[in-house]
Amino acid sequence: MAPARTIYAPSWEKLEKALKTQPLEASIEALIFLLKRRQLHGDACADATASILRQVVAKSKWHDVDDLLVQVQKAGSRLAQAAPHEPVIGNVVRRVMGLIRDEATESRNADDFGSESASDIQSLAPATNPLVPVPTTRPGPTPIRLPTLASTTSFHVSKSMFNLLSIADPADSVAGSFMTGTSTPISQAQPASVHALRGEVMDGIDEIIDEISQADDQIASFADIQIHPGDFVLVHQPTPTVEKFLVRAAAKRRFTVLISSLSPPQTGEVPYAALRKKLSAAGIRTINLATNGLMAYMPKVNKVIFGARAVYQNGGLLADSGAYTAARAAHESSKPVIVLSGIFKFCPEDPSDEASKHELGNSSSTVSYADGSTVDAIEIENTVAEYVPPNLVDVYLTNL
Amino acid sequence: MSSKHGGRGGGGASKGKKPAKAGAAEEKREDALQAVILADSFQDRFRPFTLETPRCLLPLANTPIIEYTLEYLASAGVQEVFIYCGAHSEKIETYIHDSARWNPSSILCPFTSLEFIRVSDANSIGDFLRDLDKRGLIGGDFLLVHGDLVANIPLDDALARHRARREANRDACMTMILRSAGVEEHRAKRARGITPTFVIDPTSGRCLQYEEVHPLQSDHYLELDPAILKMPEFEIRSDLVDCGIDICTPDVLALWSESFDYELPRKNFLHGVLKDWELNGKLIHTEIIEDRCYAARASNLQMYDCLSQDILGGWTFPYVPGNNFLHGQTYKRVKDGARSGSCFEEGVLVAKKSKVSKSVLGRGTEVGSGTVVSKSIIGRNCRIGKNVRIENSYIWDDVTIEDGSSVIRSILASGAVIGKDCQIPPGSLISYGVQLGEGTQLPAKPIPVISLLTHDGEPAKTDVSLVGEKGQGAFYEEAVDEDDEDADETDPSVLQKSLLYSLDGLNLSSSSISTLASHDSMDSDDIDSQITSLQGAGDVTPVRSRLSSFASDDGAAAAIKSDAFHGDAVHGLLDALRADDNGDFDSAKLEFMGLRLANNASDSSMRRAIAVAFARRAAELLTPEHGGLEPTKAAEQAFSSKKGAVKFIKEVGVGAEKADNQAEFALALQKALLGVKSLENARAGALLAAMLQKLYSLDVLEEDGIIAWWEDKRASGSDSMDKIKEKCRVLVEWLENADEEDSEEESEEDDE
Repeated sequence: MAPARTIYAPSWEKLEKALKTQPLEASIEALIFLLKRRQLHGDACADATASILRQVVAKSKWHDVDDLLVQVQKAGSRLAQAAPHEPVIGNVVRRVMGLIRDEATESRNADDFGSESASDIQSLAPATNPLVPVPTTRPGPTPIRLPTLASTTSFHVSKSMFNLLSIADPADSVAGSFMTGTSTPISQAQPASVHALRGEVMDGIDEIIDEISQADDQIASFADIQIHPGDFVLVHQPTPTVEKFLVRAAAKRRFTVLISSLSPPQTGEVPYAALRKKLSAAGIRTINLATNGLMAYMPKVNKVIFGARAVYQNGGLLADSGAYTAARAAHESSKPVIVLSGIFKFCPEDPSDEASKHELGNSSSTVSYADGSTVDAIEIENTVAEYVPPNLVDVYLTNL
Repeated sequence: MSSKHGGRGGGGASKGKKPAKAGAAEEKREDALQAVILADSFQDRFRPFTLETPRCLLPLANTPIIEYTLEYLASAGVQEVFIYCGAHSEKIETYIHDSARWNPSSILCPFTSLEFIRVSDANSIGDFLRDLDKRGLIGGDFLLVHGDLVANIPLDDALARHRARREANRDACMTMILRSAGVEEHRAKRARGITPTFVIDPTSGRCLQYEEVHPLQSDHYLELDPAILKMPEFEIRSDLVDCGIDICTPDVLALWSESFDYELPRKNFLHGVLKDWELNGKLIHTEIIEDRCYAARASNLQMYDCLSQDILGGWTFPYVPGNNFLHGQTYKRVKDGARSGSCFEEGVLVAKKSKVSKSVLGRGTEVGSGTVVSKSIIGRNCRIGKNVRIENSYIWDDVTIEDGSSVIRSILASGAVIGKDCQIPPGSLISYGVQLGEGTQLPAKPIPVISLLTHDGEPAKTDVSLVGEKGQGAFYEEAVDEDDEDADETDPSVLQKSLLYSLDGLNLSSSSISTLASHDSMDSDDIDSQITSLQGAGDVTPVRSRLSSFASDDGAAAAIKSDAFHGDAVHGLLDALRADDNGDFDSAKLEFMGLRLANNASDSSMRRAIAVAFARRAAELLTPEHGGLEPTKAAEQAFSSKKGAVKFIKEVGVGAEKADNQAEFALALQKALLGVKSLENARAGALLAAMLQKLYSLDVLEEDGIIAWWEDKRASGSDSMDKIKEKCRVLVEWLENADEEDSEEESEEDDE
């Protein structure tokens, strides 16, 4: 009999289940160590950050908006510092903070915009909110959102995203001092509205979580537009986003996938076996190759696709190492490079911090520790992520 | 949340009165993984540092070693932790108590419970584990680790396989996690000191035998249990690094309790349990990690060195300084030409004209200009002057090194002060608070170990000639105490005390560990046939490659083996024969048989031992001190004075009633008498004749046997052999003509 395997190692799934019951501090700490141990990486970090911040909003004690912002910022910067190699965490924190400010501003400006029609209210508008207590000292209509940008968007990616990208206010920076944030008269919000605000912010965070989880599917919906029948598509170290994209395209198109990966694993197992199986089930041919043999295949390739870990303000991106080689090779052969990235991966930062950009991984994934003479003779720096400059990227596909 | 943890231990204690039968409890608590940390190893390899600080709190890459262990357990999802502390237990407890992350009452603690267990009279790890068995805290499978472990091996798979094996066979009680370090020279292998050698069945991973060898032992042989040669295939591996992670069932504790004298988990326990496999039926398996994972113990100074370098090299990922596992750490990688590959904490001041490469610098440390630091780890708040050279060294917190000094491959403990222009040669250990005056040149030999304390913890008298006028500290000398046996040169711990691996000055025999001895009862043919059969199974390559340093050499091993047995056996029998009391010979027989089993001696070596013992006794009786008896009397006395002796010779010495065996015994007697120095050949011949006659009359030997001996070519090899043999001609001729009546007459004496 095959007994149900007990998983002892902590994971995000386990933590997520315990979030409700665990004290907030313990959850944050547990997440920090998951990040530090690399037991959680990639897009899941964004999801995890949002969920934790939701708990911060729900559980921590705060009396006004400033208080809440301080709490979120504190927790967020701890997470971001724990994993400087995952800029996505900072993005989510910024978005949550932006969301809180928006909500607060809205309730503050409720008077001024009171006459605006409710039709502009987005899907995450107070319609879903049990907004029972109306600010007592400030009689007026139900608080509504700042309508300036809302009217321009039909989808529900929250407008704070645009604020974030268009303004890139230093006050939004996670690492930056929070003091600038207090200069706005947000603190005028009354205690009675705290409860309402809490509910609103939590709903807003739920939206963000939904957005993150749906991003891959939304990106995949562009698959059959981008991939044409008979294409040779090179993917470098396919992330779950890329995998979904390929599988979606495979449903409609016949093409060939070349999967490049850094080093063949020493264990002898085929890399990305699960993806290959899925694709071959759909009748797609897959070829595995090592990054160093990439250039030879380039003339044959029609397009190069890879997933981003983060996209910087200048249009450059952070990707699994080897992506630069692939992008460069494609550039030389004038083949388009398509980068898949959810909008939550767009950072209002410049790629300046060299050290955190080149995340170092386990040395033993490139050289076996058992190889004594090599271990003594060489120093190994196994960078697992690298920066790809904007001029090498032709197309960004996002969930917008 | 945390309030329920308190009750945990109490409940466990009352539940576990009969841990072996706590089956119900086991199932119930299956889901909570337990771990036991042995935070004391009862060794003094880290002296003089461990005089003040327990080993597990020594900084490894500026983080106490136990942090790595606890972090590893947390990453494996362990829920309940028990820490056994010995020396400095209060310091470890205080450390954990003060730690926000590990204090069990803190909500940040990833463990549901963390308990300290103090054993007042423990002298070994064995005592800890027997105590653990008594407490019955352990419900199901648990991890047994040491407090100096650094690892990143994911355990879920190993745990699942262990569980599956245990469900298939209840006796599969333990799984050891071992890491391969390759066939070639490797720093991790060299640093072990002792080479553990595992005999493993590669298909099931079962460990069949465990031996330890080290370069200082006199004979470089390993003996294989003959039973192993019956296995279809096996591997003998000496390339494994034992990282001391064991997945155990409570049965393991019961085994410890059964054997009150086991002290060490490997040398005693593992070796013993595997050796007595037929008795206890317990199976011990191994999980061998080939790559992508890391595990090692800072079990001695060389391993400390090796581990530190591995941490710098990123092998222990994610447990590397840039990841800041310890609260308050702010290490960041520096990417900048002259500092490449280094990790600095906030507040590090490095002068522009200095070069810092592949190093870790703690908060508040200042490095002066012109200084070169490479592959070193420097703690917090250190002051490094100008033009200092630091290579491969480990400098703990608050150390001051003044201008112009050089430190190479050494450890400087917290608070040490090195004056201007000092030279610290490789391998030096500078303990807490030692001060070296200006211009001190420490001698390269003997390797300087300088401490403020003597081995019993008393303040040492400052040795001005060593540390300079303004210095403080004295040469640290290990206590040479009652345990003289351990202090001899063949003790491998000599290898493990120094930071440098060096065989200089040690009394080494020139041969290397080159011989794998099989048992003497095994012919080399047997081994050859085994190897061919392995080849047939298509699996000889791993065996061969891993055995590259072993070659089969039978003869030498057999000689050594039987020597050990022979000496003991003859001695024991002679003692019994000499004893004045008319006691039974049974106890001697029992002892002899025990010895035989212990050494797995062959029939021929037994025969030889018995013949020698009786021959010596008889020859002894001829000498004036023992009465100067005549040969016939002496023979009679030797064989018949002890009840059961005759029977013993007949059953054990001769064996099956065949002429061949009897001839062998007679030959052995002849050779034995030849070997008695005080006996001239003529007299020896007379004695042999008398003994043979006596044995004939006692029905031990028959005509056929004696005549077979007489005709055996081996009996007349040399002059002296011939001379002895000649004396027996009368007896043989008489035998050849003997009538039935004679034998009938003499047989009456049997009953004696």
